[in-house]
Amino acid sequence: MKRVLLLVTLLAGMTASAQDVVTQVRARLADVPLLRGDFEQKKTVSGFKKPLVSRGVFLLAREQGVLWDTKTPFASTLTLTRKSLSAQQSSGAAAYHLDASKEPGLAAVNEVMFALLSGDVAALSKRFRVEGALEGAEGWKLTLTPTDAGLARVFRVIHLEGDKYVRQVRLEEARGDVSVILFDKLAQAPSPTETEAQRLAK
Amino acid sequence: MRSKWAILWLLVVLAVGAHQVWFWLSARLDTDVLALLPEDEQAPEVGAATRKLADGASRELVLLVGAKDWEAAQRAAEVVREELSRDASLLKPSALDASSLDVALELYRPYRDRLLTPAQREWLTRATAEELGGTALMKLYQPAGPRLTDWEADPLGLWPDWWAARAAESTARPRDGRLWLSGEGREWVLLAFHSQVSAFALGADGHITGAVERARAAVTAAVPDSRMVAAGVPLYAEAAASQASDEMSTIGIGSMAAVLLLVWLTFRSVRPILLVGVSLVIGCAVAMSVTALVFDRVHLLTLVFGSSLVGVAEDYGFHYFAARQGRPPSERGALMRGLLPGMVMALLTSVVAYLALGIAPFPGLRQMALFSATGLVGAFLTVACWFPHLDTGALPVTPFAQRFATSLARWPRFTSTRAWWMGTAVLALFIAGGLGRLKTRDDVRQLQGAPAHLIADQRELGRLLGLPSPAQFFLVGGQDGEQVLEREAKLKARLDMLVADRLLTGYRAVSDWLPSAEQQRADARLSARAEAQAVAAVAEATGESPTRASFADGVLTPEQLLASPASAAIRQQWLGSMGDQHFSIVMLRGLNAPSLLPHLAEAARGLEGVRWVDKTQEISGLLERYRELMGGLIVLGYVAVLLLLVTRFRRQAWRAWLPTVVGTLFTLAVFGWVGEPLQLFSVLGLMLLLGMGVDYGIFMLEHPGEGSAWLAVALAGVSTLLSFGLLGLSATPALRSFGLTMLLGEVAIWLLTPCCRLPAGKDVS
Repeated sequence: MKRVLLLVTLLAGMTASAQDVVTQVRARLADVPLLRGDFEQKKTVSGFKKPLVSRGVFLLAREQGVLWDTKTPFASTLTLTRKSLSAQQSSGAAAYHLDASKEPGLAAVNEVMFALLSGDVAALSKRFRVEGALEGAEGWKLTLTPTDAGLARVFRVIHLEGDKYVRQVRLEEARGDVSVILFDKLAQAPSPTETEAQRLAK
Repeated sequence: MRSKWAILWLLVVLAVGAHQVWFWLSARLDTDVLALLPEDEQAPEVGAATRKLADGASRELVLLVGAKDWEAAQRAAEVVREELSRDASLLKPSALDASSLDVALELYRPYRDRLLTPAQREWLTRATAEELGGTALMKLYQPAGPRLTDWEADPLGLWPDWWAARAAESTARPRDGRLWLSGEGREWVLLAFHSQVSAFALGADGHITGAVERARAAVTAAVPDSRMVAAGVPLYAEAAASQASDEMSTIGIGSMAAVLLLVWLTFRSVRPILLVGVSLVIGCAVAMSVTALVFDRVHLLTLVFGSSLVGVAEDYGFHYFAARQGRPPSERGALMRGLLPGMVMALLTSVVAYLALGIAPFPGLRQMALFSATGLVGAFLTVACWFPHLDTGALPVTPFAQRFATSLARWPRFTSTRAWWMGTAVLALFIAGGLGRLKTRDDVRQLQGAPAHLIADQRELGRLLGLPSPAQFFLVGGQDGEQVLEREAKLKARLDMLVADRLLTGYRAVSDWLPSAEQQRADARLSARAEAQAVAAVAEATGESPTRASFADGVLTPEQLLASPASAAIRQQWLGSMGDQHFSIVMLRGLNAPSLLPHLAEAARGLEGVRWVDKTQEISGLLERYRELMGGLIVLGYVAVLLLLVTRFRRQAWRAWLPTVVGTLFTLAVFGWVGEPLQLFSVLGLMLLLGMGVDYGIFMLEHPGEGSAWLAVALAGVSTLLSFGLLGLSATPALRSFGLTMLLGEVAIWLLTPCCRLPAGKDVS
């Protein structure tokens, strides 16, 4: 695994010190098969004066997917798996479903979202130039710049901060929109409920 | 009088010589197999469509470099790219990367609101204001996603879907700045290069083939387990050119050398060799010049075929020298006058047979016919006009010639005996049995002798990439571009059903990239209404006042699209105006099962302006029609030649005619017994047999009992045999079949002709 990582990072054109940072950040991160918590997202979008703030809960099940349930300002659910992306308003007014096998761009974005939430630095190194620094006894900061032209079309740069878990993600989109997501009440339990498991199986 | 002809012919030869210098300097040789194929008599636009598709691809070299994982594949691709980019005057990398997408994005951006997929159209028509608003809101609050515009320019996030539908036309996807695809157990990188040299100008040196082979070796050495698949017209053209020039030198030089050796054995004198050589060279030069003047470009296959002309053209020189042997030089004028009637008769039947080749509307065959006929005339005129002037020395009879000439007396002659009739009965049974087993085949592939590895690579590439077929397509016509695009849309609706039934993988149409103006306006209205509702709902929910971006006033026109590099993918499918009509091509992907073809023909039925074109089937049908037509013409030809012979030889005419008839039937019978199918090109061989086989009978009848005539016929027979026998070695199936026909037929006719000679002491008069 270490050899693979080394190869990956070499290919990504990283410097020796950056390589060290990746290794060290990986050492600080908890290896999480399952992660739940609250999120608060502030999204700055052109055409809107104030940031669009939304809050809710999320569940990350590694190898399965992400459930992103917004509670305010309106209730909606987003299910992101390796195969698809589906969204639903709980009022039932709107829903949409995208098939990743038909839209490879979506599959790439899905992979990145997984990796961002779970702090999978190895996966991120395949698509981003990773630079960063350690902070304090437990903390770290990473800056990700896409090396893949397709991904560069979506993201300009991504900042990650955390300790044992990823605590903050700042997505700067290529079009200028910025989303800052803060995570709270992170936990590795309980395991998915039956409803959640059903959604992840989609 | 005679010297006047000689001077006149000298002037012609000088002019031809000058033209030849210019011709070889400008090298107007054609290697494209398509140039040999017949024009479609009914629809010239089909021909134009095929040419455009072929031209569009004529410089493209496409490669797939695969390895077991993505990292290895990328390294392998880099090795190949470096190796092929080494000589910038040969190959240039084609822009397949992300930068071409940016160009396309900028072109389409002002028209974003009128580019909808069928599914979007359907959704926008039926969705409620609430649903539209909700969807816009959810997409707005989504953490991130593939956006190509500001939110205001695409509040419902429709555009990425439209591009995803466009991208679905190819299995290759951008990944890490390269084009990637996965299949058959490997990860692949797609590379494309553009040849800096026209496919028509490619020589036999195989520069591109060489570069590709070097790249293959380099990548195998650098990345074990990697695999490279290469395809493209330049590779085919180089293979065809090198094959043709190899064959031209094997067949041309081989038969020339054999002929000259025979002449040396027979005459033991340099003069006949030189003079026969001169007549052959002049014959070929005249043939080449006339063909170049009439057809502008000479096809390499014509030269290969023409090389075998040597085998026929030397007959006149042989005939002269065989008769001249042992006679004093002073008699040569009278000798030539005595030979002329027989020689003219022989020339006439040969030229008629060659020109009959040109009846079929195959540009390639017409070239070969003209080439051969004019070559023969050139060689004949050289013999007739120059030989009596140049051949001044003594020419004693050599022991070899003497022995051969006297052998005629010992050759069996048909007489009405029990043994001869028994033999005839056996031959008749053999022929009847063989003819009963004769099969036919009319397949366009016989025109191609492409190396198997190129064909295999092409198939693998097509399979992995899901490339559309260039041989089967729909041709859509209309009064103007707008009508063509509208008609395409109707056709696509039917094709969508075949795609839904999984009979077809997909299609590629211009209207996918450029909807008709009417469709654009309708879609613009539809998206304006839906997006206004969505924006209003979002404004209400967020308490802000976002506005929908404005778009271009006009529609995207074909002219705009074609002027942009973004149209590279579909440019070759837009034929534009031809006559008073406009045309486009709709290409199909995943067309693997022949059983699907009738479905496609059915899909075009009843649609105005839409025509299903199956080039493979069409050409095979054409080959079949002409095989039958030429077969009928041969029968007529035999009747005409018999009548011609009767005017000169009266009741003895059968002696010159029958050996050729029997030889032809014998050849067909052998084909039947060994299972070699009869095809257009073997029928063409039969046509030539008629012209040449009868010559031998004519020479024998004109000079009965003369050993010199027999010697001339023997020399002619052996050298013709050599040249056509070598044609039987050609890698092009059509030429090989032609060569085999000539080989078998010639041997049979040559053996039979002396059997039918006049009894000793008798004369035709």
